This record gives sequence, C-alpha cells and structure tokens, in this order.
Amino acid sequence: MPEVLVVNRNLQKDQSWLLETYRRDGGYAQAERVVKKMSPEEVIEVVTAADLKGRGGAFFPTGFKWKLVRGDPNTPRYVVANGDESEPGTYCNRFLLEKDPHGFIEGMIIAAYAVDSHTGYIYIRGEYGQAIERVREALRECHEAGILGDGIFGTDFQLDIILRRGAGAYICGEETALFNSLEGKRGNPRFKPPFPTNSGVWSKPTTINNIETFACVAPILEHGAEWFKDLGDGEDNAGTKVFCLSGNVRRTGLFELPLGVTARELIYEYGGGLPAGRTLKAFKPGGASAGVLTAAEVDVKLDPSIMQYGTIMGTGGCIVLDDTASIVESAYRDALFFEEESCGFCIPCRQGTPNLVQILECILHGEGSMDDLDLLESIGESMASSFCGLGQFAYRPVLGALNKFRDEFESYVRASCQFRLSQPHILNRRFLKASPLP
Amino acid sequence: MTNSVTDKKATTVDLPAAAIEDLRTGIQPFKEDPGSLLEALYVAQDCFGYVPREAIEVISEELGYPEAHVYGVVTFYTMFYTEPQATHILRICRDLSCHVNGAPKVIAAAEKKLGIHSGQCTEDREFKIEQVSCLGQCEQQPALLDNLAVHGSMTPARVVELIESLRGEGS
Repeated sequence: MPEVLVVNRNLQKDQSWLLETYRRDGGYAQAERVVKKMSPEEVIEVVTAADLKGRGGAFFPTGFKWKLVRGDPNTPRYVVANGDESEPGTYCNRFLLEKDPHGFIEGMIIAAYAVDSHTGYIYIRGEYGQAIERVREALRECHEAGILGDGIFGTDFQLDIILRRGAGAYICGEETALFNSLEGKRGNPRFKPPFPTNSGVWSKPTTINNIETFACVAPILEHGAEWFKDLGDGEDNAGTKVFCLSGNVRRTGLFELPLGVTARELIYEYGGGLPAGRTLKAFKPGGASAGVLTAAEVDVKLDPSIMQYGTIMGTGGCIVLDDTASIVESAYRDALFFEEESCGFCIPCRQGTPNLVQILECILHGEGSMDDLDLLESIGESMASSFCGLGQFAYRPVLGALNKFRDEFESYVRASCQFRLSQPHILNRRFLKASPLP
Repeated sequence: MTNSVTDKKATTVDLPAAAIEDLRTGIQPFKEDPGSLLEALYVAQDCFGYVPREAIEVISEELGYPEAHVYGVVTFYTMFYTEPQATHILRICRDLSCHVNGAPKVIAAAEKKLGIHSGQCTEDREFKIEQVSCLGQCEQQPALLDNLAVHGSMTPARVVELIESLRGEGS
C-alpha cells in the first residue's frame, strides 16, 4: 500500500512552518471559502459525510461532535486543539506542530465557524519547546494577516486562538483534565456526563479535537467527503492515519497510511523490518495503553476493529519488540509509566498502579510466586472501576502481556528465564539511597 | 550521600528583590487572561529557576488565587519545582521504545559521569538527572532533553560527551 500524504502533505517543504509557504500552495483557501460562502450546517454535513473520526485514539465521529456543540444553546462556545501528546511511542502531533502549524490552525478556524465559537485554545505539552515556538509564531502571523482576530477574511466572523503550555502531566491529554489545566487548575479529570460538548472549558460547550483531526479538515473540504472516505482501507475506515514506528525496528519515523493497513506492512515494508539477525516477538499497536500483540498476530488491520484482539488502535504509535526483549520487563515499563502519570485523584488508579509495579518488580527479581500472577489479574479487575480512562487502561498492557505471554511470566517466577535485566540497579529506585553508586 | 544534594533538602536563600519585581511585572498581562496560572508559574520559574514560596505569594496576591491553590498546581506538574534546581536538567526517557534501545545504559553512564543518582543534583548545581516519561522523540530513541533542547539517538559515549561539552560552556 503506498503512502498517502494528506495530514503530512507539507512536512517535506522548505520552511514549511511559515505562513508564506503554506499560502503558496492554497493554504487557508478552504477556511476563506467556508467563512465566506458556506453555512455552518453545510460544513458539519461535509465532515460528517467524510466519516472523519477522532485521531487521538477514541475515534469519536468529528462531525457528530461539532453538531452536538452547535446544538447546545449555551454560549460562548469553545474550540480546543489537544496537543498534549504524551503517549509513549507517539510523536505524530509533534511533527505537525513543528512543521505545519498552519495546517491544523486552518482546521480549527473551520471548526470554530461550524460550531459558532469565537475563542480557541491550543494546548501543547511543556516538553515540546520548538513546537511551542513555532505555533506561537504561526498565531502571530495569522493575526497580522487578518486570518485570526476580528473580521476574518474581511467577513464579520471573529476568532482568537490562545496558546497554552502544559507542564509535564500525561493526564492532561484526557479531555476534562485538559480543561482543568487550561483553567489554571490541577489536571484532575472531571466526571462525565456532562460531556465536553455541553460542558467543557469554563463549563461551556466545547469541541476538543486532536491536532491530527484538525489537520484532516481542510483537505476534506478541498477534495470532498467521498475522496476522504475512499482513502481508508475497508468499509468503516475513512481517511489516513499517521503511524509512528519505534522500538526494535530498522527505520523509525512517521508513515501516513490508509486507516486499515496491516501491521505487517507497517513494520516490514515501511519500517524495513527488524535489525539484522532479530525476529519479531511482539508489538504494541497504539502506545503504552495498548495491549501487546504476538508475532502471529502481525497481519491484523490497524483500525478500531483491532479491539477484537484485546488491544486498542490508540494513537498509532507502534512499538516493535524483538526476540531479545523481555515481555515482563516491557509490562513493567508500562506499569511504571502509569504509576508515574496517575494523578492520584481516585483510589483504584492511585493504589492499583504502584501495586502492579511492586508485583512486577518482585517477579523480575526472581522473588515472585504463581499467586502473584493471579494477584495481577485481580488488581487489574479492580482498576477497571477507575474514574477516568487513564486508570481504566493502565492495567491492560500488564494483563494483556500476561494473557498472551503467560509462559514467560511463569518462567520468571520459576527463576529459569533466559532474559536477564539489563540494569538491575535502575529497578531498585525505591531503595535508591541505600544502593551504591554505579 | 556526601557528594550530592537531594532536591528534597530545604534551602533557605535570600531571593533578590529585583527578581521578585521582575516576576510582578512579568505576570501583569495574566491578570486579564483567566486561567493563565501555568503561564505565570513559567514566568516565576524563569526568574528563579524554581517556584519559591515568595513567588507563590506574589502570584496569589496579583492574580487573586488562594496560596493553597497555587501551591497545589505547582506540585501537580512535574516541570515545576519548589526547590532550587540545577542549571542543566537532563531529562532521560525511560519508557519502552527508548528502553529497548539502550536508555538504561545511557542513564547509567550519565549517573557514573556525574557521580549522582537519578533525581539528584550535583553539588555545584550544574546538573540534575531525571528519569522521565516518554518525551515524544521516539524516532531518535533513546532521547534526552537538556532543559528543553532535544538530543536524540543517545549512547553512553554520547551522553558523556554532551555533559563534557555543557560543562565547557559554563566555565
């Protein structure tokens, strides 16, 4: 399957982040056409017909979301771009933010017009220094050129977009936690319902979409809904998805492919396969939250239907593990990540994540028992009752690994495993002060 | 632990009055921008290198938040610090993609070179090592940030080189 550049169409251009470059190839023409000639209802109709779904991983229909926001009589309404990309193995938004900020800003303008909003927010994680600079500069250029501000493109439509930085919290990628962060609060999630479409930023109707989702909007309006739908591979898959490859693979990087491409194509054709002499052991299709899949499942289609294999499509950050990687240790890494990033707001997640870490530490040290494996399962079950998606997904990579590679867990328990920890002292972080210097 | 100071140790320093004034001026625009507390905290951190008690007082006074609220926000986000930090914070990714590509060896090399554990500062407060969650730089795994500057495809040798070159700049 050939690479199709829709979202990433501008990344290769010289100085692609400048307004001048973007406009040279018809940039902002769609936003101008929409604001001048189309009704908001028509815009929502096109996006709905294109079957665009949220690229942040939830795959919620974008057109429907906009319709809900527009349908809420409360004002003002808000448009929020979620650029708090923190899922391990995912970096597709970073390229868009750094190299094509105008691409998704155009999408935001169209969205704001569709839901009749006059204030937008872009939320970018604090670690993305260059992305923040480029977006700030892009917003300044837009205000100067009359693309943002009062009277956009000479019409009476008005829109301001405010840039906000995160400060190192994965949980702020969760939509309601992001709203709290935007409002200058701790990034704890909020109870749903009410959903953001009725009660988002400042408790007003808000459409929050991923950067990549916004980047799809202008091309959809340019080429039409049918064109976009046909880009996907399969009945239910519309458009492309930017996949990020990392881990034990020859070529890392971004590959924009039809939604529904197989993992085999992504890893072998685009990623160039595994390093010499290594074979595929497992892969995670969508960042840390996604359950691990075995080498035998490499022919799965990468689209939301992947749920039948006990994993999720997620952000499209595919992490490849070769035969030298330890599945138990990879589960431990994921557990550590969620332990660190749990916001501590609800008990199942706050207690469950460190419990998983402790048990996996014991198993890795050769001190685990078979009962511990059952304990992992029962802790996982109780974490399903967590308040937000973080806790509800945090146990799945561990239990997924346990389900698919139970033999390996058992062999660790029997202390007969062929894998040895690469750096045992790093594991002992709870006893840091007692352990000798490396 | 004689050759290092932990970030837990409370340090009392007299804050320069000029920096407090800089902070007060720097956060004036945020009075008109509801919800911009994080941006105000970034200004404070630029002034002092961390968010000291006095900065929390100034921000709470100027922007009208209770001090407890500001403190709550400072301690929620990992990029805000309540204690003095090092000039160079080396944030090394420890998540899966970087891990399987040798991040543990990079961390070990940095710790050995600086004689500190992760989470600690060197005595001269030039360097701090942090093991952090995914930095979103996975195409150049293993990755590290020196403050916000990205250094990708690290190896033990390259991290030692980086530390040496950063030290050279300082002196």
